[in-house]
Amino acid sequence: MIFRCVNLRAGAKLFLSVTFTFLFLTIFIGKDLRAQEAKDMFGVCAACHTIGKGKLVGPDLKGVSARHEEAWLIKFIQNSQAMVLSGDETAVKLFNENNKIPMPPNDFTDEQVRSLLSYIENYVEEPAGEETAGSFADSKVAEHKKLETSHAPTKDRSRNYFSLILISICAILLSLSDLFILKMIRWKVVHIIIMLAAVFVMGGIVVVEIQNLGRQQYYSPEQPIAFSHKIHAGQNKIDCQYCHTTAEESKHAGIPSVQLCMNCHNVVKSGSQTGTTEIAKIYEALESGKPIEWIKVHNVPDHVYFNHAQHVNVGKLECQQCHGKVEEMDQIVQESTLGMGWCIECHRTTEVQFTTNDFYKNYTKLHEELNTGKRSRIVVEDIGGNDCQKCHY
Amino acid sequence: MKKYWRSIDEYKTLQKDLTLAGDGGQEFSIDGMSDEEVKGNTSRRDFLKMFGFSIGFATIATSCETPVRKAIPYLIQPEEITPGIANHYASTFYDGHDYCSILIKTREGRPIKIEGNELSPISKGATNARVQASVLNLYDNARLKAPHKDGSPSDWAHVDAEIIPALDKASADGKEIVLLTSTIISPSTKQIIKDFKDKFGNVTWLTYDAISMQAMRKANEKNFGEAFIPTYDLTNAKLVVGFNADFLGTWMSPTEYTKQYSAARKLLNGESAMLRHVQYESQYTITGGAADDRVPIKPSDEVVVLLNIYNYLAAKLSQPVYPVADTSIEFASYAEELLENQGQSIVFSGTNNLNIQLICNAINHLLGNYNQTIDLSKHYNLKQGDDQAIDQLISKIDAGNVGAVIHYNVNPAYDAPNAEAYKTALAKVELSISMADAMNETAALCKYVCPDNNYLESWNDAEPQTGVYSTQQPTIRNLFDTRQAQESFLRWMGNAQEYHDYMEAFWQANIFPLQSTFTGFIFFWNQCIHDGVFAVDAEKKDFQFTSGELKAPAFIDSGDFELVLYEKIGLGDGKYANNPWLQELPDPVTTATWDNYVCVPAKYAEENGLKLEDVVRVNDLFELPIVVQPGLAYGTVAIALGYGRTSAGKVADGLGQNAFPLLSTANGLKSLMGSKVSIERVAGKTYPLALTQEHHTMEGRDLIRETTLSKFLADPASGNEQHAKDAEVNANLYDEPKFTGFHWGMAINLNSCTGCGNCVISCQAENNVAVIGKEQVKNRRIMHWIRIDRYYSEDHENPEVLHQPLMCQHCDNAPCENVCPVAATPHSSEGLNQMAYNRCIGTRYCMNNCPYRVRRFNWFEFANNKKFDFNSSMSTDLGKLVLNPDVVVRSRGVVEKCSLCVQRIQEKKLLAKTEGRQLQDGEIKTACQQSCPGDAIVFGDLLDPNSKISEIQRNPRMYHLLEHVHTLPSTSYLTKIRNKKS
Repeated sequence: MIFRCVNLRAGAKLFLSVTFTFLFLTIFIGKDLRAQEAKDMFGVCAACHTIGKGKLVGPDLKGVSARHEEAWLIKFIQNSQAMVLSGDETAVKLFNENNKIPMPPNDFTDEQVRSLLSYIENYVEEPAGEETAGSFADSKVAEHKKLETSHAPTKDRSRNYFSLILISICAILLSLSDLFILKMIRWKVVHIIIMLAAVFVMGGIVVVEIQNLGRQQYYSPEQPIAFSHKIHAGQNKIDCQYCHTTAEESKHAGIPSVQLCMNCHNVVKSGSQTGTTEIAKIYEALESGKPIEWIKVHNVPDHVYFNHAQHVNVGKLECQQCHGKVEEMDQIVQESTLGMGWCIECHRTTEVQFTTNDFYKNYTKLHEELNTGKRSRIVVEDIGGNDCQKCHY
Repeated sequence: MKKYWRSIDEYKTLQKDLTLAGDGGQEFSIDGMSDEEVKGNTSRRDFLKMFGFSIGFATIATSCETPVRKAIPYLIQPEEITPGIANHYASTFYDGHDYCSILIKTREGRPIKIEGNELSPISKGATNARVQASVLNLYDNARLKAPHKDGSPSDWAHVDAEIIPALDKASADGKEIVLLTSTIISPSTKQIIKDFKDKFGNVTWLTYDAISMQAMRKANEKNFGEAFIPTYDLTNAKLVVGFNADFLGTWMSPTEYTKQYSAARKLLNGESAMLRHVQYESQYTITGGAADDRVPIKPSDEVVVLLNIYNYLAAKLSQPVYPVADTSIEFASYAEELLENQGQSIVFSGTNNLNIQLICNAINHLLGNYNQTIDLSKHYNLKQGDDQAIDQLISKIDAGNVGAVIHYNVNPAYDAPNAEAYKTALAKVELSISMADAMNETAALCKYVCPDNNYLESWNDAEPQTGVYSTQQPTIRNLFDTRQAQESFLRWMGNAQEYHDYMEAFWQANIFPLQSTFTGFIFFWNQCIHDGVFAVDAEKKDFQFTSGELKAPAFIDSGDFELVLYEKIGLGDGKYANNPWLQELPDPVTTATWDNYVCVPAKYAEENGLKLEDVVRVNDLFELPIVVQPGLAYGTVAIALGYGRTSAGKVADGLGQNAFPLLSTANGLKSLMGSKVSIERVAGKTYPLALTQEHHTMEGRDLIRETTLSKFLADPASGNEQHAKDAEVNANLYDEPKFTGFHWGMAINLNSCTGCGNCVISCQAENNVAVIGKEQVKNRRIMHWIRIDRYYSEDHENPEVLHQPLMCQHCDNAPCENVCPVAATPHSSEGLNQMAYNRCIGTRYCMNNCPYRVRRFNWFEFANNKKFDFNSSMSTDLGKLVLNPDVVVRSRGVVEKCSLCVQRIQEKKLLAKTEGRQLQDGEIKTACQQSCPGDAIVFGDLLDPNSKISEIQRNPRMYHLLEHVHTLPSTSYLTKIRNKKS
């Protein structure tokens, strides 16, 4: 019961915050259609900058439009290094002030930079919850609370059939003893029904267990570094692909190299949860030349070919669709079964980018059917997504 | 209709009953299985033991935690490498024997596959089987892992510290330092050797080739005043007459010739003419198989026939004739044809005999072929070896003049005809160094072994032909503590420069000025490394032909037999004997694997009651089993070189016998042809051979369709009449399968396939196909996904040979699909016949029901199995680095087969999708197709009416195998057309 209460409370909180964010976003989009794009763009910036929360790697961007001219800002955001090299005074000064960490060039148009700047200017802090507000100590307490709540459902979801098996065995033993020794119930059919039911229940458990053999749903091993996706992806809003760089081009999403961690941790030397102990492991790896041996959480068997580029780049799926709400996980948990049924189910229901991607022009017959209204949509299965040799070769 | 047969036994059956060739079901016969396997030896107790163990094991396995898998990223991500995406680097394959421009496919920084480089003006995207297999040599456990001194491991500092003073001492003492190398085609390495000579003064550089072509250079020296090997242009020729030159298989530059040859014989685009090819040869080679007319001759007849042809032409062209014996061998009609094709023909011989080469030159001169089909200005730089190098060296050593011998890329202790004498002499040399990458026969005798890198770990360059430059770049860091030979030379000279820098500087000084496109060297250099090749036009030179006297002496003693030594397409001169892929590649003509043997003519075998596997004694030297070879000239026997290695590694050692001691030497030239030999049956003794010729029989149905050029020109569908008939009568119970999007298909032009085996090895490397060893091959369990069936036709004394590559036909009405009880082999929406290994339970119903016999069963766990430890790509940690990570390694008990390289299809589809464009025709290339030197294989989308494959579908030459069964294969064949005169 206790678990249930906690669950309810957490659920309500989640519901409220999601609703708020949603409402907030809707209003926002109404105000400025480009704002959503600007927000996405800021996702990249957020790796090093905050708006009104102090200096991170780069300076706090609150009021940045007031500090510099727009034309200068546009140039600087597009390619800061070029300006530093050309000897622009302000640029050089800023560069030196910020430990000579270069800001990578951004492929933004002038118009995009303008909307980004207006996003920064009009930024209102999101009522995202207690974890971002308050002092360090407060947030630590809050984290702790969060940890508890996010652990609870995991326990709840894991399969525990012990009591069920025990009851079944007891039922069989009782019926047997009654049948042969006690003889309290006269109708033997009762014994048989009870025993059959118990065997049926146990059989069901065996079937479920066998199906899950080798699967690792809810697998959440402790990693060599207590890296928190919640802080990086959730709080700091770093884009998934800032670290998992190859998700759009390769079969592997890519685990970031230590070098990549150093882009930020060159400067960020102390974390909000663990202080310096965990971040120090990065420096240690770099010094000793030994790469970090992460434990792989999401595993598919050798005979399965899975390609991230196909799903992320071509299929335009969100990472969260398979990996769950990573931005809320301190320690990564495998949310999905990664079983074949799970894959197939998604292939049956997910629509293909059929009209926007020219690749699918080859499927003339399907295009015809789509145009004549014979089909309303094309899902992965329709173009052979459930063939064996799409994944097994 | 012609009758096709595959073995002498089958031929005899054919003679008796013309309706049936071969018997079916042999794939499942118990021939060759051990008694244990036949009877089975599982007792009730064994069964119970196994049963108990299985249950116990299953219980433990299920209660165990899933193993922890790690994901270890790079510490510092290399810029070029994206995990999961292959990189390709242009490079060069040259091993002292073959040259080929290649692309090296690497995954996560390790080379896993060799592809052809289409930018090369020589190989034009082609490779051969040895080049394909060379990637496995990189991961050979027999490679030396450190420099050795006196047979035990040492380190570079020590070895250098001893070698340098020793060289200085030899130089100071006025003793000769001898550099014994294979033919070197690298301009920068030649420069290093020059520097080396300058540094030490008394340096003699001897070039030694195991298999030589010195006679051709000598003949050209006599006729043109310069010793060179010219280049040939088969595309410009209308008639080629070859004499014992296996130019499509092993002679000179087979990949280049096959490209040219097949381009001139495609007959796909309405051509009305094709290159005609007449081959005189002793042993049956694939070149003879491809020829329109093949004339079997004894080696001693070659010179007689050639001079008769010369005399015939000379008489007609009023030139002097020379005395020669008459011959009963047909030549006049071919001479007449040559006369008709003046300036458009080529006559060449692969025999290393001066008289023969002089006659060939004279014939080509008479016909005006020089500077038409034979380019005198553009030379081959391969095969510059001096046949007397070893003899010279031995006499120098015996005279006590030699202070040091350095062996680079040579193994004379194995492949010199006087190897024993050399071994004795070498022991007298104070400082002997070998740069072999493994402890081979010569290295084992040397004081120091300074192992060279594998070519995939090295920088290098090459100039295979005049003006054609080729670069080589490393694609992996040295696996072991080895050092590139060039760098060893530099160190010993006291030059601390890296070879890469040396080579770059050399290119800047010598090759960069040859062009004017690039103004900055670095751009030129980057472009060359990127392309792998750089070519300039060869300077045209005028050569005057000086004729000399031609003679046709009997060049051997008359013995029982004339011996022909030949290179197998897989093993060559034996350098790669330790490569299991090549050992298991069936010889294209005898179909034998894992051994060498004595080929005897069919007629002789009949007369003497000899049959396959009977053991004979050769010249009191060694014993070898017999293979009866139809088409081998009567009075001749043939033995393959490259076997009988004693120090090559665990795969090669002890396989077959070394035939190099049988090389004949006359007038200072080593010849493969014509030494005297006697063979004697060892009574009652047999030796098992693993031949694949009767495996996977398709019961003598109408598989080969063949016609002649004249018939083809009259009716393009000639020979293929059955196709229309079958189409008429075929009806279908089921609905014809319909496809949307893609329907993959493949076509094979039988006119272009020479049977060279490149596709077999390419497929093996791409698809992680297991090596199963001789015993299992003999049990008809060979795993190759693509096999090359070899058919003989007509008379068994000089049959024609035809090669037919066969892989899964991807039938749209597949008989295998509907018998699978677990639906492990369903049809895909793109027309592929899929095989889901993880679903297969191994009933083998599909294999029984496949009329093409293309499915393979994993009888054993071939990976990680000590019993198959020669299977180095799957059983050793090092070997496993070659596996293609996109293709699963199959386990025991499942069926596998050709997937039409589905991983390549998916890869290119994904690329097109991410770029948001339609797939281009020809973008997807299967492994077998990519490097096929004959361009025999076409792959594409049958739904696209403009694709190349669809065009072929409309070609009247097109047919499917077993059309009358109405399996609707997606793979089609094009009829074979021979350019016959009669």
